[in-house]
Amino acid sequence: MKDLLQHADEMPVTLVVAIAYGTLAVVTKMFGPAEQFAENLHRFGMLTPQLVTAGEPWRLLTYAFLHGNALHLVFNLMMLFGIGPQLERTLGSVRFAALYVVTAVGGGLMVCLTQPFQQAVVGGSGALFGMLGCAVALLMRSGRHSFAFLEFEGPRRLMAMIVANLVIGFLLPFVSNSGHIGGLLTGFAFTLFWLAPGRQRSPLRLAWRAVVLLLFVSAGFASLVPVTRADYLAGAALAAQGERREQLERAFFEVTTRR
Amino acid sequence: MTAPPPPTAPPPTTRPRWFHWAPIAAGLLLAAWPFVLWAVHQENPVAAVRLARGAATALTTTAFYGALLASGLLLLWPPAPAWLRLVATRTWRNLTLDRAPLERARSELQHFESAARQLEVGRQLRLLRQLAAAVHHLARAIELDPSVAGAHHQFGLALFTAGEIELAGRAFANAERLDPGHAFGDALLHLGRCQFLAGHTEAAASTLCSHQQRHGGSPKSHLWLAEVLDRSGDRDGARAALRTAAARPSHRLDAEQNWCRARARVRLWRYGAGR
Repeated sequence: MKDLLQHADEMPVTLVVAIAYGTLAVVTKMFGPAEQFAENLHRFGMLTPQLVTAGEPWRLLTYAFLHGNALHLVFNLMMLFGIGPQLERTLGSVRFAALYVVTAVGGGLMVCLTQPFQQAVVGGSGALFGMLGCAVALLMRSGRHSFAFLEFEGPRRLMAMIVANLVIGFLLPFVSNSGHIGGLLTGFAFTLFWLAPGRQRSPLRLAWRAVVLLLFVSAGFASLVPVTRADYLAGAALAAQGERREQLERAFFEVTTRR
Repeated sequence: MTAPPPPTAPPPTTRPRWFHWAPIAAGLLLAAWPFVLWAVHQENPVAAVRLARGAATALTTTAFYGALLASGLLLLWPPAPAWLRLVATRTWRNLTLDRAPLERARSELQHFESAARQLEVGRQLRLLRQLAAAVHHLARAIELDPSVAGAHHQFGLALFTAGEIELAGRAFANAERLDPGHAFGDALLHLGRCQFLAGHTEAAASTLCSHQQRHGGSPKSHLWLAEVLDRSGDRDGARAALRTAAARPSHRLDAEQNWCRARARVRLWRYGAGR
């Protein structure tokens, strides 16, 4: 904590994110009545695939600042202060902020693509896993070769922590591991191709960059316009008229009845 | 012994091969998929749903039968495990190749240029498969000191990997001339291979036989000799060489020699040696 206060000017984004976590916990009345808290989470931007499809794409980012309970908040704050300051010093504040935003959106997109459409998700852990992915990518870039970092105790513990968190995520039913995996992959790819690319320039690397970017855009499009998902088809059918409505209703029944 | 003149090789380009582009093409297809579905949905929403379902079924079925086929190949087709080991070994070697010697040699080169440092940089770049840069440094090493057989050998290997067979053959011949039996006969072996690939079958047979007499053999050298003998019409000689290449080794072979042995076994089977 002393280090944190003395070097606060070196990690503004980490502090802003932590303050945002705390402020939103208060504003959403985390410690108030459960119904009111749930309503506030909905109002302040919790993520459900259905709401993103219904024209609220900002939820892909805002969910990463909300938390479901005090324990959730405390764990995420601990993780943020554990890895955020070092990473912000390494990357610089602007790139660190970009990392947080991109990985939060990446985690949200993974939730939209893989979770049931009414599944509600909150928490900054997708973005925090993105930071872990970023750290792994930086370690891979910095050693004598791609896996040289595994010879050292600290990075080995980092890898063990990632694996342990993912295992815990699979074991606990209320943890959205798809958000974690989405954030982890996004943070890894974002760092490997943009934040800390290798020195050797090649057409292959440019092609990989383009493909990763296109996949991200494509995942965003599939989350906003999921043309094979029942809730989207039902909503579109209600809004349409005439023959188009019939077509959409048939598609809806095709999705819901046939296996 | 007179030193050969410095080489004047055009720098080869490191062209990405199909297996480099395959995952990129797969990624592009995957990225295009939601847009394709959306376009179909605009015309006919039911068709979009059926298309998505059909694609998912096709993908699952392909993955299932692909896994079955791969398992069958691994169990029944002798080269499959050898090939898998070769690919895994090469991938692991590429991923874990130490970059520090290259950086050290490069930084030394900035302060003082010598043939030995140019050779070290070129050698490390060749291992990293940056062939154009490797050829540049190795050519400079030869220019600075044409009497170093190792530089000619590395230059030949870089050109051989890049597919410049004629130039590589010349480089191996220079290495062999400067230091007979250089790199435990590797220069002579590659010289024979280059002669064969360039169409000089008799010279290749003579070189490879000479290599075997002087340095003994390995599955790789026996396989290459068998190819040469087969082309020159000596099928019995080729069969004998293949038998030697395919013989059960007394020690564990490295991945490349193991792959050559597996290829020799398949060739021998095609020859009908068992009948």
